[in-house]
Amino acid sequence: MHSGGELLVIELGAVMLTLAVVARLARRIGVPALPLYLLVGLALGEGGLVELSASEEFIEVGAEIGVILMLLMLGLEFSAQELVTNLRRSTLAGFVDIALNFPPGFVAGLILGFDPIVAILLGGVTYISSSGIVAKLVADLDRIGNHETSVVLSVLVIEDLAMVLYLPIVSGVLFGGSVLSTAITVSIALLAVLSVLAVAYILGDRLSALALSQSSEALLLTLLGGTLLVAGVAGRLNLSTAVGAFIVGIVLSGEIVSHARGLILPLRNLFAAVFFVFFGLQVDLSLIPNVAVATVVIAAVTVVTKFATGWVAAGRAAIGKPGRARAGAALIAHGEFSIVIAELGISRENDLGALAATYVTILTLVGALLYQFSDSITLPALKKRSRTRS
Amino acid sequence: MRKATETDLPGVGVRFDLETNAGRSVGVVVHQTGRRDLVIYDERDFDRACESLELTEDEGHTIGELLGGNPVLEHLDDAVHRLEDLVISWVTIDPKSSLTGLTLAEASLMSRTGAGIVALVSDSGSIPIPAGAETLESGDTAVLVGVPAAVTAATKLLTRPG
Repeated sequence: MHSGGELLVIELGAVMLTLAVVARLARRIGVPALPLYLLVGLALGEGGLVELSASEEFIEVGAEIGVILMLLMLGLEFSAQELVTNLRRSTLAGFVDIALNFPPGFVAGLILGFDPIVAILLGGVTYISSSGIVAKLVADLDRIGNHETSVVLSVLVIEDLAMVLYLPIVSGVLFGGSVLSTAITVSIALLAVLSVLAVAYILGDRLSALALSQSSEALLLTLLGGTLLVAGVAGRLNLSTAVGAFIVGIVLSGEIVSHARGLILPLRNLFAAVFFVFFGLQVDLSLIPNVAVATVVIAAVTVVTKFATGWVAAGRAAIGKPGRARAGAALIAHGEFSIVIAELGISRENDLGALAATYVTILTLVGALLYQFSDSITLPALKKRSRTRS
Repeated sequence: MRKATETDLPGVGVRFDLETNAGRSVGVVVHQTGRRDLVIYDERDFDRACESLELTEDEGHTIGELLGGNPVLEHLDDAVHRLEDLVISWVTIDPKSSLTGLTLAEASLMSRTGAGIVALVSDSGSIPIPAGAETLESGDTAVLVGVPAAVTAATKLLTRPG
């Protein structure tokens, strides 16, 4: 191994150990570790404490794989049938969510003087909560059985589905040329996504049976190979690699899913951390003071609008006030998708990177803490109540 | 009593809820993985799980039987557990068997194989705990009890020539 290779290994080792310390710290305080990985990336990037030299390229590739694995895992959670029934049932909550949480980012982008398309990206950043972080918070706090949890999960599913349409559209617009050619690219993209979803709906079981293998090694390679290939092709077609990987996860169903989850999870955890570090690396620390005020304002507004979304959605499901408060707090955490979206625009607008990194960190920490402690705020006020019985 | 309501938990499984006559709420979350959570809801906040007990699929079945099953069946179930290494088998006595026509005392199945006949069933009725004077008639059913090997040996004697 030549000396560059050794330096790469040393840097990676140091980065991972730093992340390990951060992860332990996060666990101690009771907050999700992912936004803290972002901060590690910030500290290691341009103008940060230490600058990485040898491992940046590797981390960039790792980040790409991280997105794909995160979205594959997310897709594995759902079957196409489940998505369709859920979409029918929670359409209204989905609309409230978009109407309340997309405009703050979009308007802020316009006020900050960003391109309209970059403002649309910022709208996406504020719209999308983090399914990954929220699902983990719910499980860690033993709240799966809570009544508001079904509402929270439904809203998150609709957001993820919205991303399946949103990401190809914005990628098409960003990388397209004239209005006409952009329109054509976008419609082809949407058509492709919809037909793949239709195929998934019909053929999912058979494809899953085909991919299944008794050898976990063969299964892992099949899964990774297939997902990377589909995601790569989707990226080439401007459909976004994330959407490609998500769809692979949805197509797979039945017996293969539990095996796949077990095999992919450790890899996902590793590369997702790399992804957040990489995004932090790309952000120029010196830009953060420029956007600090805007970030805090947008964060404050969307903490309120996300909370309102959960409150309204849970209210429609006849859930009491403490439960509505929990639903609202649960939806505040932002994460992987916000960063994936910001990543698309970072080359057009440097400030977007700095803004998204700090925004995601603030929202996720505030959200996680509010969600944990909302009961200690709302419950003491309640008296033992007895319902009237029919 | 109200009926249990069913709610989808996308990506997790299904939740079932029941409000009891006493005014408490209880629920079961059935995960896609087979895991079950038994959930008790807070008296002040009906939407909040104040206790959530994680169960495997088998533990869930057992608790389900304990709560809802017929008490007599449960008792039998218990007995079967305690007799885990014993087998109960129903064997039709074959005309070709060398034991056919002999009395139980003559056949001395117990000393030859270790398995005992706890009942004889014929068209005319059944004889529980038959005495040594009862005969093994071809076509009747003998109920055998014993460890698996003993019951297998006794079954051979009752069904095959030799």
